[in-house]
Amino acid sequence: MAGCSGRTQRAPRSLLPEQQQEPALSGDGSKLAMIVDQRGRPTVQLKDLRGGGRLPLRHLNRQQPHSSPSLSWNGRYLAVIVQRGNRRLVLIEDRLNGRAHPLRLPSGRSPVRVSLSPDGHQLAVQTADRGRWQVELLDLSGLLEPDRPGGLRRSTAAEPQP
Amino acid sequence: MTTQWPQITALLLGLCLMGCGPSGLRPEQGISSALQRSAESRRWPSMGNRWLASIASRNGRERVELVNLRNGQPVPLPGINQADAQPISVSVSADGNRIALIRSRDGRTELMLYRRGVGMLQRLPIEPAGVPREVSLDGSGRLLAVQVSRQGRWDVDLIRLP
Repeated sequence: MAGCSGRTQRAPRSLLPEQQQEPALSGDGSKLAMIVDQRGRPTVQLKDLRGGGRLPLRHLNRQQPHSSPSLSWNGRYLAVIVQRGNRRLVLIEDRLNGRAHPLRLPSGRSPVRVSLSPDGHQLAVQTADRGRWQVELLDLSGLLEPDRPGGLRRSTAAEPQP
Repeated sequence: MTTQWPQITALLLGLCLMGCGPSGLRPEQGISSALQRSAESRRWPSMGNRWLASIASRNGRERVELVNLRNGQPVPLPGINQADAQPISVSVSADGNRIALIRSRDGRTELMLYRRGVGMLQRLPIEPAGVPREVSLDGSGRLLAVQVSRQGRWDVDLIRLP
């Protein structure tokens, strides 16, 4: 049992004491997404656990509150629930080519939690329907390139990888 | 020449809508329907590669469940669900072999790791002491991020596991 106690460290944080919630690790363990309060607005942040710095997100400075971040294997894709007008929707940012994929669920329901498969092939979404929680599964293989260990990257990068 | 502008504008608008819209997003109706039929309620989805962990409710009791998405069948998880424990958060490794969970039992909130190969559930200590709320495993199941409440604030701890 003692062999499984593990070694603990704190996630890197800025100088300002900020609340850190809803952690999500990339598949390779190199990146950590979490929700922090940014001027009172819950906002997703992405940290590089190997370099220690904060990584830029092109499409996620607005549309708060953000919730339920989820990362693919190398952290190429970040899925998160955002607010657009009076609707909640899933937004997937492709950090390799800078594209954003806003997703409205085919069921028309609002997302409550999301989880992206490490390879980026599938997305599980928790929704509410007639007073009960449900999980819907979506196939993203027609939308996203795989993000596997070692990386299959056919796109041309719009900016250097952080 | 000017008469061609409406057609060009329409073409560009069409291309933009194709790129921004939900094309390439496919609901996996069969699995989603099976998930909805097999539980009164289902929440907290966590995706591996072709694995889905979630908290499913039957007869008013919530249980951690792992579904093999290749065949849509739940796999046995002997020892993970205990009659006096209430699951709160769950996360699965990419290969479905490790499941981290937070549960409430005997008035305490505990961080646990389940290793499917040996069918063993182990409690992971949180140091310094705090109350865990939400957990995320990396793809290998050897790095864990956990949201912990300490003295009125939320932290994220990283725990390396053998």
